[in-house]
Amino acid sequence: MNGHLQADELLMIVAIACYIFGALALLVYFFSREEWLRNLGAPLAIVGCAAQFAQLFVRWELTGIWPLLNLYGSLSLFAAMSVLIFIIMAWRYKAWYAGGFVLALAAIALAYGVTWNEGTMPAVPSLQSYWAKIHVPIVVSSYAAFLVAFVFSVIYLIKYYAEDLFEGKGILAAMSERGTRLSPEYAVASAALADAGLPTPPPYNIRQDTPAIDAAAASGNSTATWLQSLPSLAQLDVIVYRAVAIGLPLISIGIITGAAWAKEAWGAYWQWDPKETAALATWIVYLAYMHLHTRNNWRGLRTNWVSVLGFAVVIFTYLGVNIWISGLHSYKV
Amino acid sequence: MVERLDSYYTDFVRTFGNVLFAVSLFLVWGVLTMIGVIVDQGKDPSIYFGSYPAPIARAILRLNFDNIYHSPWYIGIIALILTSLTVCTFKRVIPARLPPLRPVKIDKIPLHASFELAGDERSVRERVEAFFRARGWQLRKREFDGTEWTFADKHNWARRGVLVAHIGFVIIAAGTTLYWARGFSGETVVVTGQAVEIPQTKAILRLDNFGYSITPVLTKGGMVYQPTDYVSHVTVTGNDGVPKNMTVRVNHPIDVDQTLYYQASYGFAMRFRVTHNGKDVPALSQRVLMEGENFDIPGTRLNVAYDRFVPTVDRQSGMPSADPRVNDPAVIMTVSDGGTQAGSAIVPLHTWVDLGGGWKVVPSNYLLYSGFQYRYDPGVPLVGIGALVLVCGLLISFYFLPARLYARIDSTTGGRCTVGMAATTVKGYDMFETQFRGLVSEFSAEAS
Repeated sequence: MNGHLQADELLMIVAIACYIFGALALLVYFFSREEWLRNLGAPLAIVGCAAQFAQLFVRWELTGIWPLLNLYGSLSLFAAMSVLIFIIMAWRYKAWYAGGFVLALAAIALAYGVTWNEGTMPAVPSLQSYWAKIHVPIVVSSYAAFLVAFVFSVIYLIKYYAEDLFEGKGILAAMSERGTRLSPEYAVASAALADAGLPTPPPYNIRQDTPAIDAAAASGNSTATWLQSLPSLAQLDVIVYRAVAIGLPLISIGIITGAAWAKEAWGAYWQWDPKETAALATWIVYLAYMHLHTRNNWRGLRTNWVSVLGFAVVIFTYLGVNIWISGLHSYKV
Repeated sequence: MVERLDSYYTDFVRTFGNVLFAVSLFLVWGVLTMIGVIVDQGKDPSIYFGSYPAPIARAILRLNFDNIYHSPWYIGIIALILTSLTVCTFKRVIPARLPPLRPVKIDKIPLHASFELAGDERSVRERVEAFFRARGWQLRKREFDGTEWTFADKHNWARRGVLVAHIGFVIIAAGTTLYWARGFSGETVVVTGQAVEIPQTKAILRLDNFGYSITPVLTKGGMVYQPTDYVSHVTVTGNDGVPKNMTVRVNHPIDVDQTLYYQASYGFAMRFRVTHNGKDVPALSQRVLMEGENFDIPGTRLNVAYDRFVPTVDRQSGMPSADPRVNDPAVIMTVSDGGTQAGSAIVPLHTWVDLGGGWKVVPSNYLLYSGFQYRYDPGVPLVGIGALVLVCGLLISFYFLPARLYARIDSTTGGRCTVGMAATTVKGYDMFETQFRGLVSEFSAEAS
């Protein structure tokens, strides 16, 4: 038994180490774009993620207790799912540049989760249900998707406000501006790009959503060149949308399965328990995001701020309610 | 009059059909929900005055924030959201999601491209159509002002995703309404060996035995007493009049005539032996008291309250132990004299308390009681179907991108044609940019 628990702890150490070193490599890659750093960080992320899933499985196998019934286990899955969703999106959208932030947040979540590890505890009666194997992973996965959306939203906002700085407006002026530059106006830019020595455009027109950055990069500004190496605002916005589109159905299903479980355990779908209602508030924020994303003049800057706000609500729902507010979901240890 | 009503109706539809108005309602809903998370619900006013500065406590009570989920604000905002959802469904979702086939100005659409190809108009059109048909696009042709247009749709059916999600909400609302209209719920407590009748169903529930399991676990933070099972063995007599032995556990309700019974709580009822001048007073001694109940001492101004059961008293300190298992049980009793508290004490079982005037009270024995919730909910199937429909609607909306391609072919000189191509989607242009780029590249390669 003791030997098994050591294996469990060993896998956790491997995961944390991979995340820390992977985060460092990919954070430097974010700024330097040195390919070898990505080639180092990406495998570390994959190994760390695999080690975490293995750790959860080993813990379950050895204790016979579903490992997600306390904050330690759920934070562990949260970190693993965040990295997994990121890996899939990075592979799909060539977005390894964001990996440093995701891995750093995963490492923090994991390290924080370890502080809640009180050892092996049998489940309280209300948690002894097959729903624990359905509801908990789904909800935690939705939070993980929202973390990934948050990271890409932050990158979006960095690029957006950097554009304003390059336009000479200053950050305060940029923040007070309520307009959006993501109107569906595409400029035919081939001539401008050719003048700037940039690659020939594809056989359809493209948008210049950061013209000030492009112009500064063309004149040799290294910060602008770095900003230009990030995807366009439109592409970043699409990635955020895709991440939210993973998270929102998951949290919807999570709330529904939670309601079904509550019905089975307590006789009512909805108890107005703080955790339930906070999850509802999270759902409302991301539902608002999706509705706003249908509007041309809201898509972009404003929806990305909503994504940032949404993640703040996620953190409150996930950790704040568990730790600070007592209720039916107070399974801290 | 009619014009004024028409104007009101137009304003109503414009306001409630506005997505930003709906999002504003979401925002208010979210804020109210969060207030309910942060502010304890359903507590005594003194709790709020103890927890918050007086002005905030007063505001909480006056604005119904102590019971926010049943407040006029909360119910009102949900009613407004449902109204907005209905108006949006009929005025925005249905018309917008099923757009008619119309010609467009190709170069005004952000996602557009044009090609010049060799061949006459007919052969070029055939090549365009073959290209899209091979990739699963649904093709339709229409002629407008003598110009033939080709329309290619992908995932056209998915335009109904939002509509499906909205219908899911409506079905869930119908299911919950059905519960409010025809369902019922309640709570009951049964002491071991006793029976209760459920008022709504006339079913009789007798508690034969209640048991619980608590496992002490030594953690890094100290000893934790983890409850692992609550189980009630009951005999239930339903409509058929036949008593049945059943077992109720948390997560395992029993079904009696479509009413479900849930294990909800448990506790310790007490019998207090009361004597006066050494003689037993049967009327008091035979009573079973629940925690929080009390009784008067006849002929005096004394009142004895059974506050709480203490399963284990710490022998060294004489205070309640954290161990919830019954080892050295005691009760916390409070004696009042004329409404004024005279004293409160932890009294071990079988220990006398002398009240004076020849009156003595002894907590003699405890009986476990089990708390049950019961609920008849005819709306469950509808709510389940609604939830499924809602999730399907969300998945359709998020994972299938309906796109429409417009192709116009114009003959130019020298046996060549210009192919103008544009694309629109229900989620803007960015979402389809990569796919459009791919299609254009592929078509460009194939056509040339």
